[in-house]
Amino acid sequence: MDNAWSGNNKESDKMNREEKLKILLPTLRKKSRYIKFQIISDEPIVYEDLEQSIWNTFLDFFGERGTSDFSLWIIKNLWNEKEKTGVIKCNNKSVTQVVAGLGLIQRLGDTRIIFKILGISGTVRRLR
Amino acid sequence: MNFFDLHMHSAFSEGTSSLEQLASTAKTLGYKGICFSSYFSGNEVIKKFYDEIEKIKQKVGIEIFLGFEARNVKELNMLIERRKKFDILLARGGDLKLNRLACETPEVDILTHPEFERNDSGLNHVLVRAAAKNDVAIEINFREVLIYSKKTRAKVIANISRNVELAKKYGAPLIICSGAISHYELRDPLVMSSFATTLGMNLKYSKDSISKVPENILNEIKKRKSEKWIMPGVEIIKKVIK
Repeated sequence: MDNAWSGNNKESDKMNREEKLKILLPTLRKKSRYIKFQIISDEPIVYEDLEQSIWNTFLDFFGERGTSDFSLWIIKNLWNEKEKTGVIKCNNKSVTQVVAGLGLIQRLGDTRIIFKILGISGTVRRLR
Repeated sequence: MNFFDLHMHSAFSEGTSSLEQLASTAKTLGYKGICFSSYFSGNEVIKKFYDEIEKIKQKVGIEIFLGFEARNVKELNMLIERRKKFDILLARGGDLKLNRLACETPEVDILTHPEFERNDSGLNHVLVRAAAKNDVAIEINFREVLIYSKKTRAKVIANISRNVELAKKYGAPLIICSGAISHYELRDPLVMSSFATTLGMNLKYSKDSISKVPENILNEIKKRKSEKWIMPGVEIIKKVIK
C-alpha cells in the first residue's frame, strides 16, 4: 500500500514539497538589517573560511544561546571575491552585537584580516 | 562624525608596523586623526619623531599626533616637565601608584588600560572621582580584549565593564582606543563603539568616546601649545606693560 511515508507515491511527495507555512503578518515578522562589510587583507579570501570563522567567533564569544537571538545569515550570493565585500543579515535588535563580534575576528587561517563596515541598511538594494 | 584613535604603537616603540602602515590603514578605516605613542628616551627622539610624522602626514593625508606613555612614576614626572614639547601624555595603567598619580594629575590626558595585568579593575570610586575632576580620560583598550580569549578575556571584560560603570557614575571621560601594536589590530570606529555597547555603554555614549572625547583632548592640546598657556587653569589673558 502506498502512503506518504513509503516515498513511492510521487503525488504525495510533490504535495509535501509544495506545502509551505503561511507568511507571518508584518507586525509579527522580525525586522532584518543587512550589514555590508569589506575585508582588508594582503591575501585572497576563501568564502568557506570566512563563514566558518564568523560562526566560530560568534559561538565562542556570545555562546549558542546568544547567537540564536541574532537571526544571523551570511549571504553567499552577495560575496564579492574580487572586492572582498560581503553582506550579513541579522535582526534589527542585534546589529551592534553583530558588528562588535566582527571586530573580534583577527585571522582566517594564517591570513590576518580587518573588517571594515561599509554600511547598514534595512534592504539589500540600498547597500548596493 | 570625526573619529580619532589616540593610542597605538609603531615600530618606533613596541609595535611591529611602520608609521606609514598604521596611518594608511587608519585612513582606510575612516579615522580623521591618530596618535603614535612611544616611550620617552630623550629629547632628540621627539624631533626625530616629528620629522617622520610630518612626512607621513603629507603622504597619507591624516592628522597625526605624538604621544608619550609613562611606564612608571619617575617617567611620568619627567614627561610632565617636558609637557609642551609633544601632544598627548598617556600614563600606562596597571600599577596602582601610577593609576593614582595619573588620575590626580591634570597634565595627563589618558590613563591607558588601568586594569592591565591585574585581577581587579585598577580603579575605585576615589580614583575615578579624581579623574573626573582633573579631566583625565580613562581608556577602554580594545587590544586587551582582542589578544586574550576564553577565561582571561572574560576577566578582562569584567574589569573593563566595572571601570565603565564607575566612570559613568562619577562623570569621568571614557575614551576607546585600539592600543594596536600592528596595523592589523586597528579596528573600524563603528566596530569599536559597537563593542563598547556590550560593556554597558549606550550607542551615543560609546560613539562620543571615540569622537567627542578625543576631540576635546585635542582642543585642549591646541590651547596648551599656545604661548598664553602656563598650566592647567592658568592662562595669560592680557599682558600689562608698565
